[in-house]
Amino acid sequence: MDAGSQHVLQYLTEVEEAAEDVLTTKQQIVDLDMKRNRNREALSALKHEMSDSEKVKVCFGNMFIKFPTSKTREMIQKDLEQLDKEISDLRRGLKAKVNRLNEMQGKPELTGYNLSPLSADEIRAINSLLTR
Amino acid sequence: MAATKVPEVRDITRIERIGAHSHIRGLGLDDALEPRQVSQGMVGQLASRRAAGVILEMIKDGHIAGRAVLIAGQPGTGKTAIAMGIAQSLGPDTPFTALAGSEIFSLEMSKTEALSQAFRKAIGVTIKEETEIIEGEVVEIQIDRPATGTGAKVGKLTLKTTEMETIYDLGNKMIDSLSKEKVQAGDVITIDKATGKITKLGRSFTRARDYDAMGAQTKFVQCPEGELQKRKEVVHTVSLHEIDVINSRTQGFLALFSGDTGEIKSEVREQINAKVCEWREEGKAEIIPGVLFIDEVHMLDMECFSFLNRALESDLSPVLIMATNRGITRIRGTNYQSPHGIPIDLLDRLLIIATSPYTEKETRQILKIRCEEEDVELSEEAHTVLTRIGMETSLRYAIQLISTAGLVCRKRKGTEVQVEDIKRVYSLFLDEARSSQYMKEYQDSFLFNETQTASMDTS
Repeated sequence: MDAGSQHVLQYLTEVEEAAEDVLTTKQQIVDLDMKRNRNREALSALKHEMSDSEKVKVCFGNMFIKFPTSKTREMIQKDLEQLDKEISDLRRGLKAKVNRLNEMQGKPELTGYNLSPLSADEIRAINSLLTR
Repeated sequence: MAATKVPEVRDITRIERIGAHSHIRGLGLDDALEPRQVSQGMVGQLASRRAAGVILEMIKDGHIAGRAVLIAGQPGTGKTAIAMGIAQSLGPDTPFTALAGSEIFSLEMSKTEALSQAFRKAIGVTIKEETEIIEGEVVEIQIDRPATGTGAKVGKLTLKTTEMETIYDLGNKMIDSLSKEKVQAGDVITIDKATGKITKLGRSFTRARDYDAMGAQTKFVQCPEGELQKRKEVVHTVSLHEIDVINSRTQGFLALFSGDTGEIKSEVREQINAKVCEWREEGKAEIIPGVLFIDEVHMLDMECFSFLNRALESDLSPVLIMATNRGITRIRGTNYQSPHGIPIDLLDRLLIIATSPYTEKETRQILKIRCEEEDVELSEEAHTVLTRIGMETSLRYAIQLISTAGLVCRKRKGTEVQVEDIKRVYSLFLDEARSSQYMKEYQDSFLFNETQTASMDTS
């Protein structure tokens, strides 16, 4: 293979890698969100269908362990917070990755992509402009 | 009767009207900013197009905010065309405001107010809105009403995307807004997490066969992909003027729609400027200096020019492009003569682009482009005759003749405009030179004849 095609091949590999990176991050967000929703369902089930004195069976890996309800609820709550944080971290990282991919493909940077959002008050103030 | 009339089939898509510069799609430059002889509707004027291209690149990079450009040249040499070309190549993201010099003279608004509104219309502010939403297809809604009829309702809502499915517990409020929106299984909805507002996006394609008869307003959408709880970011571009109008107290935000915005207090403008600058520093807004195009700029008077001088120095200022066809003439509102009818101190701040008259070849090319734009077929000889007319009278007159000759040609059921058609419309419609000639010959028979009284006074 001559130098030209070698170069093209290397470039294409880099682009593919960047694209793959974006896709994996997206999939990761989906997976984490799925987990988050399941945790949320579990929490509401604990709230509505269980009394506090009862013990619940919690699945750890391939084993069920009986656990006090309040303790379980605490555990899930902590897990939820962790998930929220992880998802927002991933989202932040995703932006940089998409930007890098765009740059590699020679596409223009999206306008306003890196702005920080207006607060709810400010949005409400100019809402009549935005809903057009 | 042997021949039966075939009803004419009219193409209803072509109702768009054709403007004088509708054929302009850009400046016709290649990537190295070199002008092509014929491209994007532009013909000739290579030097001025190249200059405009350089300015265009600087505008795109945001380098020359607060600068001004003057396009000067004889009538019919493509000044407005170049400005249109700049507007077209800037794209929809950069604000472009066009106005004619005489538009600012109005009884309801002072001249400077009209100018500052135009200035602020040409500055865009990009802002971002971010919301957490839950987006999914409704699989099932289950609502339990208490047997007594009163009391809290409880329910469950099952939502899914292509990747996952989950159940939400519903409170009283959510149940109410769901039933108000008439949400049922198969709808694709979004729920704003912060406000709990429910929006119906449409029905899922997989449920398209649920009913035989459906209203015209039923919209089918794909089942959403990815995660259920999404973050939605919307980027808006608004102009400074629009923000002004909303915040102008006496008017309220309705003023934007009635069109009559009246005068806006300078305090309001200052507040907005301060707020926007604050947003920019916090990384919440980007300011896009757009382009303000003032055609026939010699119609402005001395006050306006000194206002322009001042306005260009403000830190929120767009790129000002002006066009004029005047030579050395009186500045409006004064007795002083000045080039282009613009005061010297303002001229000093301008980058001046000159346009030159078109050559015969270029005129021919432009007429061809216009024929295509107006959907008129021209025979080779007719084209030559028309070019001749364009050279001897004016390009605008020749362009006018295209559509009129097209009509004459259609009247005689021809498909291609011939020399006779051109001759006919040439005899029907006078050009400027012939019209003045006619005036001179028959001035005695017109009313209020001034040349005659003048000659009587002198005698």
